[in-house]
Amino acid sequence: MQTLAFWVLFLAFVGAFAAQVARRVQLIAVAPTTFSLDRLGFRAGRFLVDVLLQRKTIRERPVAGLMHAFVFWGFIAFAGYTLIELLYGLGIVDLTRTPWFHAYHVALAPFAAAVLVGILYLLIRRAFVRPAGLGTKVSIESIVIALFIATLMVTFLLTFRLEDGSLAARVNWWLHQIVILAFLALIPASKHFHLVLSPITVFLKSPELGNLPNLDFEKEQVGLETVKDLGSKIVLDAFTCVECGRCQDNCPAWGSGKELNPKTIVLQTQDALLAGSRERKLGEVYSEKVLWQCTTCGACEDQCPVGIEHLPMLIGARRGLVSNGDAPDYLGAMYNNLERRSNIWGLGYDQRTKFVQSAALETFDPARHDVLVWLGCAGSFDADFQKSLRSLFGILRARDVTFGVLSKERCTGDPAKRTGNEYMYQELAKANIEDLKAAGPKTILTSCPHCVKTIGDDYRKFGYQVEIVHSSVFVEELTREMLRTATASAERPEAKRDVVTFHDPCYLGRYAGKVDEPRALLERFGADIKEPERNRDNPFCCGAGGGLLFATTEEEPGTRISDVRFKQLQATGANTVVTACPFCSIMLKGAQASAQADTQFVDLMTYVNGKLQPRA
Amino acid sequence: MILVIAEQRDGKLNRATWETISAAQELAGVTGAPIAILVPGASLGSVASELAAAEVKEVVTVESPALEPYTPDGFTAALEDAITQLAPAHVLLPHTYQTRDFAPKLAARLDRAILTDVTGVKAGAETAFVRSMFQGKLTADVVPLGPAPHFVTFQIGAYRVDQVVKGASPAPVRALQVSVDASVIREKPEAPFQQAKQAVDLSQAERIVSVGRGIKEQTNIALAQQLAEALGAEIAASRPICDAGWLPMERQVGSSGQTVAPKLYLALGISGAIQHLVGMKGSNTIVAINKDPDAPIFEIADYGIVGDLFEIVPAIIEAVKQ
Repeated sequence: MQTLAFWVLFLAFVGAFAAQVARRVQLIAVAPTTFSLDRLGFRAGRFLVDVLLQRKTIRERPVAGLMHAFVFWGFIAFAGYTLIELLYGLGIVDLTRTPWFHAYHVALAPFAAAVLVGILYLLIRRAFVRPAGLGTKVSIESIVIALFIATLMVTFLLTFRLEDGSLAARVNWWLHQIVILAFLALIPASKHFHLVLSPITVFLKSPELGNLPNLDFEKEQVGLETVKDLGSKIVLDAFTCVECGRCQDNCPAWGSGKELNPKTIVLQTQDALLAGSRERKLGEVYSEKVLWQCTTCGACEDQCPVGIEHLPMLIGARRGLVSNGDAPDYLGAMYNNLERRSNIWGLGYDQRTKFVQSAALETFDPARHDVLVWLGCAGSFDADFQKSLRSLFGILRARDVTFGVLSKERCTGDPAKRTGNEYMYQELAKANIEDLKAAGPKTILTSCPHCVKTIGDDYRKFGYQVEIVHSSVFVEELTREMLRTATASAERPEAKRDVVTFHDPCYLGRYAGKVDEPRALLERFGADIKEPERNRDNPFCCGAGGGLLFATTEEEPGTRISDVRFKQLQATGANTVVTACPFCSIMLKGAQASAQADTQFVDLMTYVNGKLQPRA
Repeated sequence: MILVIAEQRDGKLNRATWETISAAQELAGVTGAPIAILVPGASLGSVASELAAAEVKEVVTVESPALEPYTPDGFTAALEDAITQLAPAHVLLPHTYQTRDFAPKLAARLDRAILTDVTGVKAGAETAFVRSMFQGKLTADVVPLGPAPHFVTFQIGAYRVDQVVKGASPAPVRALQVSVDASVIREKPEAPFQQAKQAVDLSQAERIVSVGRGIKEQTNIALAQQLAEALGAEIAASRPICDAGWLPMERQVGSSGQTVAPKLYLALGISGAIQHLVGMKGSNTIVAINKDPDAPIFEIADYGIVGDLFEIVPAIIEAVKQ
């Protein structure tokens, strides 16, 4: 009788679970396939640390993350127990009398205690502490789930106290099973669906941050215009979101008072998919204004513990808008510059030639030169950044590195790519690749982190592979041996050290993961670094990326992203800010000028060269 | 005859019309043909008398309900009739958005050549018109072929309003009757959409005095203002000045402000960060005053003064006043 009752309950709840899952799986199945499985070894390693070891969950929020890990590890430990009890309840097989089950049962007790501690902590945090990332209103459903989990643990622990076969024990058993089944039925429609999906989503997440495959114009791909264009990974992402708000907490747009909230973008995607409005325009689903507020700094995607890729959503939707002529006016002006002059400023290339001549640069020849130096739009035209490049040239010459430049360069296409103007990006990229292939460098050296990403990652999608190194990495290696040989130098350890702060460029620290090299250089050449809030591989953006360098106004209430970042850098107390990206430098100097502050800015290469030249 | 098509809305003349009249006077100097100004619309009295100040043979008003509000069909029909009656050799228009909307249709209707966005007139065996090609990389001298009239639209800013020759006495104004079948108008225009308009349009300014952080104090803005007044210039600024609220945001020049191309750009204490430079690089003559000889602004300045602007600016004001 009890077995029959259990079967009825089991089928009802499992049926409810399956129906809800089927709806979501079907939405994933009809979406254009965008799953990829390259670099399996990397994916397996990431699965181990991010899923099993809960790295991202713990790193960003150590206490809450650890409590979550307790619950997670507890769930894994309980998987076998739950299965065996189910088989018993369904009358299929009774394994609960075996001696090893008794041992397992006892071994689970500490896990149950850990889960109980964890879930109570998380319950209190959610219901009473209520951090901003979790949203403004308390989710009742989350409270219910937390109480369910607590009940499961309490009923489990009670099995040690209640006499086997007693009525109390029977009631306790039933309570445990009903809660499990009800929990199961609640999962798919709630953020707790991440229990099921996040291991899959993490595994399927691209190994490359901000991975944007080329559009194939032959197949009339124009980007994401309507809900039905959303690819299968995006749909999976939308249902995986656990609403933890790490993306929101780390987003520079949200953090400076704009409307854009990456978490809202994911949830709006989910709502639009479930509403079945396949023809709805993404510009309406998200609001166009919000889509243009993203700097593509990558913080949301990089911090997400469940494998969501926000950039393909945001930039994909931008592509759809640009294809329909719906880009903001300031981008129109920049696109004109790219089209007419192949650089973002719209300046004539005679100015680059002037710089190349005055800096006595040779045209690259693989027979004579070790590296090709890629100047980039800033290096070609911005007199301020050209000082940094002259410093780099000084360092290279002092260390006997031979180098040359291309006789002609175009913008790599980064601002076109990140703002969704894929056609223009591909035109520029293909032309540059042709020139680079003809020049034939083994190593390209550049001081622009955006060029590193575009030439290194994006050009690979056209089959062009080359080693591209940021100047900080190259010069770090180049000068590594120096101090050992120069320890006799009297000025060295006793010399007065500079106090500086270092602003990690998003495209260097987060995208390329190069955080130690610039610091090693600074310390080697006499600087003590005061770290700002948000540093290393999770910096706060300067506000220039994603075409926002050209934004005429950041229209939202609140301050500019660059102003917020400048204040963070000022708060270190260091009066010198070292930068390693021309665009960070432009934005932060602008913020400094607006704040009427006397903070000094120095580019990393200029700093190193200043210390190197007297000795050389 | 050279026929200039004036552009007006609600009795207010588009300034570019005067530039086209200036171009017409230059063309008249080459071909010797008389100039007539045609102004289409409804209730044109005041606009017509305003235009009559120019030295031209006559001002022709074409009033018709088909012309108000503006529709490309209405304009094409009315102007087709008017041009057929007047039989000019050239039809000149300012290269405005409205012209871009109807002029190609009008030229096609009459099966005549049209040259657009022209920047100059060249005398020769055949009169040629100068226009940019290949996205501004080349300029070409173009001679229109086929029977008259030839349509020519002139780039905004290519001719100067202050070079229009005014007549000793007002030119005669006459009304021309055109017949337009209202049923040919397929468009139903809605009320014009007005974007939040910037109060100051620096892109039209002929002279600009622009201040940067070197001005140091808000009270010193007055000095720059005096210079601007003395030169008859608009005042503008780089981003930090506008951010500090010393001048309104609408006076900001640069990639995050307005793009300007005046005849004279006077940069006071502006270092010349690239995002400022790209907003003013099109200026004809750039004069920079800065105490830092390494300031990037000197890279693009035609005249550079290294020194203290608080000494130099009063001296310039003094000199201009004399």
